[in-house]
Amino acid sequence: MSPRYVWARQLTAFAVLLAIWDTAGRAGLLNPMYLPSPSQIGAALVDLFGSGRIWTHLEATFTAALVGLALGIGAGILLGVLGALVPLIAELLAPVMTLLNAIPRVILAPLFVIWLGIGIASKVALAFILVAVLIFFTVFSGIRQVDRRLVERVVTLGGGRWALVRHVYLPSVAAWVMGNLKVAVGFAFTGAVVGEFVAASRGLGYLLSFAQSTYNSALMLALVLLIMVVVLAIFAIAGRLEKYLLRWN
Amino acid sequence: MLEGASLAVEDGQFVSLVGPSGSGKSSLLRAVIGLQQPLRGTVEREVPPSDVAILFQDDALLPWKTARDNVALGLTLNGMRHRQALEQADLWLDRLGLSGLGDRFPRHLSGGQRKRVALAQVLARGPKLLLMDEPFASLDAIVRARIIQDVASLVERGRISVLLVTHDLEEAISLSDHIYLLSRGPRAHVSRDYSVPLPRPRDPVRARVHAAFAPVYEKIWNDLSHEVDRRP
Repeated sequence: MSPRYVWARQLTAFAVLLAIWDTAGRAGLLNPMYLPSPSQIGAALVDLFGSGRIWTHLEATFTAALVGLALGIGAGILLGVLGALVPLIAELLAPVMTLLNAIPRVILAPLFVIWLGIGIASKVALAFILVAVLIFFTVFSGIRQVDRRLVERVVTLGGGRWALVRHVYLPSVAAWVMGNLKVAVGFAFTGAVVGEFVAASRGLGYLLSFAQSTYNSALMLALVLLIMVVVLAIFAIAGRLEKYLLRWN
Repeated sequence: MLEGASLAVEDGQFVSLVGPSGSGKSSLLRAVIGLQQPLRGTVEREVPPSDVAILFQDDALLPWKTARDNVALGLTLNGMRHRQALEQADLWLDRLGLSGLGDRFPRHLSGGQRKRVALAQVLARGPKLLLMDEPFASLDAIVRARIIQDVASLVERGRISVLLVTHDLEEAISLSDHIYLLSRGPRAHVSRDYSVPLPRPRDPVRARVHAAFAPVYEKIWNDLSHEVDRRP
């Protein structure tokens, strides 16, 4: 089999599966309460966009995820750099970060709702904490592994502390962060959606929770599909960005 | 560890340092350029630190900068304007036979090309003293011979003093005016030194078949073998 047509074979298999699933649904073999047919899921999607009520939810989730992502990357870099450069900060931060890394951080969601309310702040906080811990460890361990030879190269070319930061440390940090950007994007959306699922009045997570409470499987699967598409689209953008910024690699 | 190394590099002279592994050759170079402090004693340099350059065994170019930017970095760090530094960088890339490769990142260059970029980077700064720590060890024979030819002619023309550390005796003789032999460590020291009576200007590849080459080689090789065999 030619490896060139992998995608064609995958697509065919997927279409066949969908056809069987849809036919079984139409023939009444599947209970739509548990497993709605693809056409019902499609109808739910069309309804979400057709009625226009999806936009406010998409906006809420995107805002929470992207703000949490940006703040988390910023804080992760800052703490990672400080931790790597100031031993006292490393001493104090390391156990906290290790604990935060050891637990599934989404379990903090109910706590954030109590602290910050059911508005967007609690979702931003959850996305933030998921991303910040990841980026902290990336940067913290990365800085300690900066290639000594590059440092010596810049020093022997006459570079001082600032030149080292600008030409060696910052590009290294950028490379590690970019290498983890996709994971961070995934984490940010996880944080936003889980936060909304716990308690919210808007957002894809809120819609999921609503669909669950009304036993609306078609809506739930439509939302899962939508979240997949959204995250894949962001992955594609992050991938492009990574490819451009790491083009030297 | 190296103990009591006393050697001098005269203006415009090409000096090599050969000796068994672990005799502290690299440490000596690192001390001269200030990457490492000698435990005792001093390094006397008549040239300011900005006139000293070092070429390491690995090329250690910044992977996120293009060949041109890597060369220009050595100039901007010493206060040259960015635009002028880029022009100079292109000039030096041309001189080292890398015309048209300025936009490539180190990863997309061959080992020999990277070595040439590193050379352009240090030579562009117009050093008076060039230190080299086994700079050609990782290259294959033909690439190596051609780079050595270019280095020899560039330092000869620029009247740059060179201190080369190498394991390769033929390389040392064909390039140098003077050679220091280090004894085996621990407590290594300069055990002997030799003048190389080969004429200048000199092509280091052809120098190997010059009548004066073999006697020097024979003499240093005997002393070097003796050092390697000596029980510490």
